[in-house]
Amino acid sequence: MSGNEKDIRIGVYVCWCGGNISDVVDVEKVVSVIKNEEGVVVARHFMFMCSEAGQKMIENDIKMRNLNAVVVASCSPKLHELTFRNTVLRAGINPYMYYHANIREQVSWAHSDSKEEATKKAIRHIRMATAYVRHAEPLEKIKVEATPAVLVIGGGVTGLRAAIDLARSGVNVYLVEKEPFLGGHVARLGETYPSGRPGWELVSRLIDELLKHDNVAIYTQATVEKVEGYIGNFDVTIKVSPRYFVKNCERIEEAISRCEKRVPDEWSYGIKTRTPILLPPYPGAYPRIPALDMKACGEDKCMGCLEPCKDAVDLTMQEQVIKLKVGAVITATGFNPYEPSEGEFGYAQYPYVITLPQFNSILKESGNGKLVVNGREVKSLAFIYCVGSRQREGRTYCSRYCCNATVYAALLVAKKFPRVKQYHFYRDIRTYGKNEVMYEQASRSGVIFVKYPEEEPPKVTAENGGLLVRSKDLLTEALTIDVPVDLVVLVTGMVPRNNKDLNEILKLPIGNDGFYQEVHPKLRPVETTLSGFLIAGTAQGPKDTLESLSSGSAAAAKAGGIVLKRIIELEPFRAFVDPGRCELSKQCIAECPYMAISVKNYEGKGEKAWVNPAICKGCGACVAVCPNNAIQIKGLTNEQVVDMIKSAAREV
Amino acid sequence: MGILSQMLEHPIEQEGIEEFDVLVIGGGIAGMEASLDLAEMGFKVLLVERDPSIGGKMFLLSKVFPTLDCASCISTPKMAAVAHHPNIKAMTYSEVKSVEKKGEGEFLVEVLKKPRFVMEDLCTGCALCENACPVIVPKEYDFSLRGRKAAYIPFDTAVPKVAMIDIDHCIFCGQCELACPVGAINFLQKSILQKFKVGAVIIATGYQLFPITKKKEYMYGKLANVITAMQMDRLLSPTRPYNAVLRPSDGREPMNIAFVLCSGSRDRTVGNPLCSQICCMYSIKQAQLLMGALPLADITIYYMDIRAFGKGFEEFYQQAKDMGVMFIKGRVAKIEPGEDGNIVVYYEDIENGGRLSRAEHDLVVLSVGILPNPGVAKVFKNTRLEIDEYGYIKLPGNYTSTAETSIPGVFAAGCAIGPKDIPDTVVEAAAAASQAAAYLSEVRKK
Repeated sequence: MSGNEKDIRIGVYVCWCGGNISDVVDVEKVVSVIKNEEGVVVARHFMFMCSEAGQKMIENDIKMRNLNAVVVASCSPKLHELTFRNTVLRAGINPYMYYHANIREQVSWAHSDSKEEATKKAIRHIRMATAYVRHAEPLEKIKVEATPAVLVIGGGVTGLRAAIDLARSGVNVYLVEKEPFLGGHVARLGETYPSGRPGWELVSRLIDELLKHDNVAIYTQATVEKVEGYIGNFDVTIKVSPRYFVKNCERIEEAISRCEKRVPDEWSYGIKTRTPILLPPYPGAYPRIPALDMKACGEDKCMGCLEPCKDAVDLTMQEQVIKLKVGAVITATGFNPYEPSEGEFGYAQYPYVITLPQFNSILKESGNGKLVVNGREVKSLAFIYCVGSRQREGRTYCSRYCCNATVYAALLVAKKFPRVKQYHFYRDIRTYGKNEVMYEQASRSGVIFVKYPEEEPPKVTAENGGLLVRSKDLLTEALTIDVPVDLVVLVTGMVPRNNKDLNEILKLPIGNDGFYQEVHPKLRPVETTLSGFLIAGTAQGPKDTLESLSSGSAAAAKAGGIVLKRIIELEPFRAFVDPGRCELSKQCIAECPYMAISVKNYEGKGEKAWVNPAICKGCGACVAVCPNNAIQIKGLTNEQVVDMIKSAAREV
Repeated sequence: MGILSQMLEHPIEQEGIEEFDVLVIGGGIAGMEASLDLAEMGFKVLLVERDPSIGGKMFLLSKVFPTLDCASCISTPKMAAVAHHPNIKAMTYSEVKSVEKKGEGEFLVEVLKKPRFVMEDLCTGCALCENACPVIVPKEYDFSLRGRKAAYIPFDTAVPKVAMIDIDHCIFCGQCELACPVGAINFLQKSILQKFKVGAVIIATGYQLFPITKKKEYMYGKLANVITAMQMDRLLSPTRPYNAVLRPSDGREPMNIAFVLCSGSRDRTVGNPLCSQICCMYSIKQAQLLMGALPLADITIYYMDIRAFGKGFEEFYQQAKDMGVMFIKGRVAKIEPGEDGNIVVYYEDIENGGRLSRAEHDLVVLSVGILPNPGVAKVFKNTRLEIDEYGYIKLPGNYTSTAETSIPGVFAAGCAIGPKDIPDTVVEAAAAASQAAAYLSEVRKK
């Protein structure tokens, strides 16, 4: 398996790290022992191997003593492994004929109390390293060509932002939206914080910006059906449902008035109803033409309403299947508002108990003067916070945006309807950062805040034709107070979208909270464990509009990092199959968490397991389960590991 | 005026203009992330950091919420990655003096490289000079919890790990020069003004801690056992000054520790009405770490609202409650000395009828808020960088991106825009990189 064991010529360099190592480890002794190890041609110690002088020493030895493998025993490989791989490369050795022994973090720092034992442990570490390089072979990085195109799933603010950034950077973008119009939840909002501008205005600006670029293809009423391949090279199949409208129709209002069918209108969260004919729901919406929602037509599908628009409609339109090639995939599928269960704070039980998104839809349509809901004037209203969020079981998370959005709604109500009395039943007001100023304003404008205990949430009952909210108020000696109101608004949080089909296709990791799971919550918030798959916006976790925009741009940066390079270089530590030994037990295929292993026909050897090196992460799960030792990791073979263990166990 | 400040006024002007695609101002986690993202996309980055090391404040922290990752362990590899990336030139101990916009995609930049009095390319970071130096002054990176020498390596995990001489405290005894094995010490080093041409700029100048001495009622600086949360983070960190959490007055292990949230935040009396966005969570984190370090200690957190809003934060807060951390809703009004170095806090006990209550603790941690680092607007010479009334960089009017500023081609990320935690900062840094890349690609196409 190894290169050429007999000809191995190893140089070993033990670093003092100023004294960090040499104060504890007897470096003289280490060198005198290691000199006699098999294959070691030269062993030295030096104050700082990483310094220019130290690196020069290695380069000189490689040339003068004809070394073909190098071991440096110093700090953690995280710090200087790359440094020394580059050093040996400069002197003409393959960088994978190098091994980095950590005798600082793992030896001198950990065992400063026992110099003798530390010295022995350092020797064992370095023996392991020499065993490793004795069996090492030159490796090449895996090079993968990247298609300079990105698939963005979801046409809300996050997806739009990501698409714009990529298009501007010269990357081809395919934007896929499930709904008939772009814009997502933000397009449905009235005035939003902190801009004070309607949500749709922000969305239409983004759409205008996106439409300026000719390297973007937008598909609405489209779903992703299949994604195959690996980072840099994905084959994507999407399905586009027929829109039936091919252009605008001047007599569209007449057509709508002919139709008697009514279904709840998604754009107002069910506050209004609509016909199966969908008009662009806000100024600047895209596509700019209507759509026919055939499902809403029900069974009869009379099509009588379409008579005034027959030139604009093509009922023979079929579902389209489109194949795309992309280098990376950004999933920005957003959230759903939490839907309270029947009877939760009187929801679906009393007509004047509604959710925050529904209230925002009403607020958007209301002029100044009177706040009217369902034809009745509202003179007092209660907001109940944390509905469906911060629960002890189930939805344990905080939905982040709701305190800010509700306090902003309070300010809007106070401005538009100054005489409406507002009571806010909350647990903690989380107007973080600059949003705190809104909370301060709301407190000053006469809004009453009532802090309710976590274990005893308010109760909503019907009384005298209105509603009664009963709650403890921790701010006034925990008295129980009864507040009669005309309207109760449930501040509902965000829940993950029901992406069952998409999840089966992409297999993105999902966290305990049901949102997509990033690789690392702090340092890699838009990447997933699947190379080439990025997540952004509220699909990853609750966020407000600006935070979603940031996240969209961030995903674009990472996708750009993948496809703009054209050639992706991957570390060579990948599993590979010895087809002569493989008996196709398929255990590796079942075990692989990245779906990197499939069955391939090897010439003359028949069907055996095959590892796609671009997908494999070198985790070794397959190696452990193979009954025939037919699968191994390049750069960490069984032979290497066994000899390393033997070396470590040898008496010092 | 110190010797250093005088020297900085008379720099040597270096000839020639070096070109980069993007200038990143600030080498904290925001600046490092933005630089790495741009470098990965193939852009050449000039990263300028005012302090002697890149890394900002993150690498000084103990563990970070909500995952309790060791901050050094996840930030020092980033620092190394920045130092090694072929597309990044990192200038530490250097300040951007001016940025002049010549046109779209063209900025002229002047950077002042401050003298370390140590030749960086020769220094191996062996610390022999530090050992030899007889002068001891408070160590900035440990927030004065311990001392450092006048000839010193700023921090164990500094990048670059090279020595420098604090010339304002140096007594010119020459011991360091004698001790240095490679002759790297050079007292004749001057400050150097270098010119660069860049295509775009990212501002990632971060935050400073609120100067909590302004909140006189909290007695910081007057009572030894009132410390800041940043000092507590240092006490808990793997690179900590002592091997234990000790209270300053007598070096005893504290047994009854209090956290005072909103110290210098949400407080118009000290001029900062904003919520600092991180203090609730870092206090809860420190409380959890203290429960591990001092299992018998009682820990109390005085709060106004617990703002555990980010991913996994609420669960982290509930976990602290379950571990036995006491949460008391009530703002601390006053802090006074008690017996034996103990500290007495007075607060409104809101959940118990709003009584004025008093409690004694043996160590009080002020969960100090943050303010933007000032001064970055001044470097823009012929264009105006708009700043909001709190000193943060202002978003331009259309709110379609968080990274844009009032100057096209100049972007911002992290706490320079507003208070924020590490996860949000990292997202914004990538966003700024994305926007800068898009801007450059577009400008260059034309």
